[in-house]
Amino acid sequence: MNTVNFSRRRFLQTSAITGGGLIVGFAMTGCSSTPAPLPVASTEGGWTPNAFLQVLPDNTIRFYTARSEMGQGVTTGLSTLVGEELDVNPLDMEIRLAGAHEDYVNPDFGMQGTGGSSSIHAHYLHLRQVGANTRALILEAASQDLGVSASSLSTDNGFVVHGGKRHPYADFIATAQTLNIEADAALKPASEFQYIGQETRRVDAIAKATGTAQFGIDVDVPGMHYAVVVRAPVARAKAESVNADSARSMPGVTDVLAIGTGVAVVAKSFWQAKQAAAKVEVQWESLPLASVSTETLRRDYSAALNAGDGVEGPVEGDIDAAMQSASTTHEAEYWAPLLSHSPMEPMNAVVRIEGDEADVWTGIQFPSAVPGLVSRVADIPAENVRFHQTYLGGGFGRRGTPSHLVEAAEIAKATGKPIQLVWTREDDVRHGPFRPASLMRIKAGVDEAGNLTAWDASRAGGDISPDTFRGLLPALYPWMGDSMVEGVANLSEWYFETFATDESSTEGLFEDYDQPNTRVTHMTVDHELPLTFWRAVGHSYSAFAKESMIDELAQAAGMDEVAFRLQNTQNSPRLNNVIRVAGERMANMRVPAGHHLGFAAHHSFRTDVAEIAEVSVENGKIRVHKVTCVLDCGQAVNPDIVRSQMEGGVIYGLTAALYGGLNLENGAIKESNFHDYPMLRMDESPEIEVVIIDSGTKPTGVGEPGLPPIAPAVANAVYKATGQRLRSLPLQLA
Amino acid sequence: MIHFTLNGDPVQTELDPSTPLLWVVRDHFKLKGSKFGCGAGLCGACTMHVDGAAMKTCVTPIAAVANKSITTIEGLGTPEDLHPLQAAWHEHAVPQCGYCQSGQIMAAAALLDANPNPSSDEIDAAMAGNICRCGCYPRIKRAIQSVSENALAYDAMAQTEGRA
Repeated sequence: MNTVNFSRRRFLQTSAITGGGLIVGFAMTGCSSTPAPLPVASTEGGWTPNAFLQVLPDNTIRFYTARSEMGQGVTTGLSTLVGEELDVNPLDMEIRLAGAHEDYVNPDFGMQGTGGSSSIHAHYLHLRQVGANTRALILEAASQDLGVSASSLSTDNGFVVHGGKRHPYADFIATAQTLNIEADAALKPASEFQYIGQETRRVDAIAKATGTAQFGIDVDVPGMHYAVVVRAPVARAKAESVNADSARSMPGVTDVLAIGTGVAVVAKSFWQAKQAAAKVEVQWESLPLASVSTETLRRDYSAALNAGDGVEGPVEGDIDAAMQSASTTHEAEYWAPLLSHSPMEPMNAVVRIEGDEADVWTGIQFPSAVPGLVSRVADIPAENVRFHQTYLGGGFGRRGTPSHLVEAAEIAKATGKPIQLVWTREDDVRHGPFRPASLMRIKAGVDEAGNLTAWDASRAGGDISPDTFRGLLPALYPWMGDSMVEGVANLSEWYFETFATDESSTEGLFEDYDQPNTRVTHMTVDHELPLTFWRAVGHSYSAFAKESMIDELAQAAGMDEVAFRLQNTQNSPRLNNVIRVAGERMANMRVPAGHHLGFAAHHSFRTDVAEIAEVSVENGKIRVHKVTCVLDCGQAVNPDIVRSQMEGGVIYGLTAALYGGLNLENGAIKESNFHDYPMLRMDESPEIEVVIIDSGTKPTGVGEPGLPPIAPAVANAVYKATGQRLRSLPLQLA
Repeated sequence: MIHFTLNGDPVQTELDPSTPLLWVVRDHFKLKGSKFGCGAGLCGACTMHVDGAAMKTCVTPIAAVANKSITTIEGLGTPEDLHPLQAAWHEHAVPQCGYCQSGQIMAAAALLDANPNPSSDEIDAAMAGNICRCGCYPRIKRAIQSVSENALAYDAMAQTEGRA
């Protein structure tokens, strides 16, 4: 990916002082001469020291959350970081969701995006510094206003304390905004943390428990009309002919029009638009994908693996010699299907274009893309596009793809009406973009002492990067014409097919164990399906193959599954320790007759996780009773949110492991809604115990790492229960 | 013209009687707390109370609720005056993305109204119609149990003090 590397050093260097206060931010490209105005609320008599904070005259402390809140608790986590150093309880802050601005870029990405379990890691020092510098200005202002030495002042939850007297921060903002900070203020040592590491509540829980949290779909603007799009059953097919006569005569319908992705039906209510959309008759062009079924995918992937002429990933040592000299070798093939993300909130966006200005409301993982995309469609300057972020009703990677925004903008532009575009659940399940299907083959060798000596892993399937380019390039490089965007996207397809492995296609397949001889090979097989990130990305399937194979190898070598893993992760001490702690727990578990324990461990998004699944098989049905999850994510900024992310990762992964699978027939997805694409429900949800190992290092990811180990942990338990080694997802007994 | 009661207020509408209650409440009466998840009665995000019973309103035409009493999440409690379940949702940090939680809470409230002390299996059965993709089920269950336990403790205290 075309990422820009922003180190902490670079960030600190670009922390600039301008005008009336401290601006802590980043110059994203360095080519804009004057910074765009901050998209923050105007405050009468308030103080806006930087893009993240406002202090109001009534001492309200307002925090603008730059990362998208999709359930992972980032509003709580980031307000905890800034609040720790500003000395304000995050639960007492007013939380706002930030608009689009270069000051809000993710330091890990170089653009304003949320994903890769990066937010807490990326902002851990950054937002603490923002809080510390802002507090330093307030203290200096208080020192001047009160005529006392700064050293005689302390702070406590939004108040400057002098002697026995408490002064609201707001008392000093008139002076504070005349001050500049000379150097970054010192950060607290961990021993003085008041909020980081504490079991605080979530800042968004009350809004979400009372129906008052606003999601994109809840936005309602005057004159708003509703749009539903009739989509091609086979991805990317264009309409050859459209008969919309009966749709146009349906009640409430105002417009029917062709857009890039299908035929849009606009009506005065969503219900009317949906009813009318069902009446539209479309003849779609025939594409090669129309001859593809699930069996085709698997057959073509298998043929590619057999042909063996893929792109080599990391190669170390002499794999052939190592395989020859191994005392035990084992080879197996693992399948993971296409998946839909199916967040509970279907994709939607509101776009209003008036003259040369536009407003956009949606919950999205990449706000950087919004102004560029909408300006391109509406033919207005990007700086005239105002983006209003909302809560995201689930993301899981799906809300990194902005195609719904383009659809809403196209319809708003063509009709001249404010438009709310809503995908139906059927649209969501059938039209992706999807988690790619994968066929993985691993051959491994073990010596007589139980050391893993050789690991030859290959994967065949689609790559997600070309579609990601296709979606984001027009936004990030507005000067590119449509044909150039398509050209660059095609170039990236060709590049990954021919020269280099798309990292997310093979990540997690080979890195965790100590084998000295490694060969990774990737075969891109592209059926033109739309693909994207899905929670844990490549790890979502690679961990299943890798950790199933490790279990099979341990058994083939006659070794205990935990001892084998411990012996072969000496070079990954944190993963090794997580395996050790989890292994000790497993050794002490007593389970009822008929219950079996399966083990798996995996490193992803800088975090190490081991999971133990307690499973029984009754009447051919796999039942998961309990999952114990042991992890090391460094400093847990909010331990309860870390636990909830592990619970969520386990349940999301378990849904995929037990039920998840989209099937293609004549190029179209057969499944359509929750009756045939089922989700785990409360009655099947296991008890989940989370054990956090506090290693005290800088925080690492938690949104995704809980997911990868669950499928292999369950599969490994099913093997113990039945003797059946299930190598295809979803797990189905013969 | 169809009449019903919405969160205690009498309302009326001339919309097509086949329109699902969810869309009438969201798009016509502008109460956005109840959510669209599947449109097929499969996920429970749209759950409201109809005469006290939990109903999936994305498949309930307004003709079927004529002269009935509808309660939505907005009628259950507010940020300033939380229903005990809403307070428990905060206490147990239940919501993640939060999108399904209105429906979850309405289903739970109907359960506790009918059965103030449900067993674990009874909670599972009553909540099986509500999907949460974030995987909040363990916390939803804990929060429901905490309210039912508090209710029992409260009842027991009231009886001891002769205030039952």
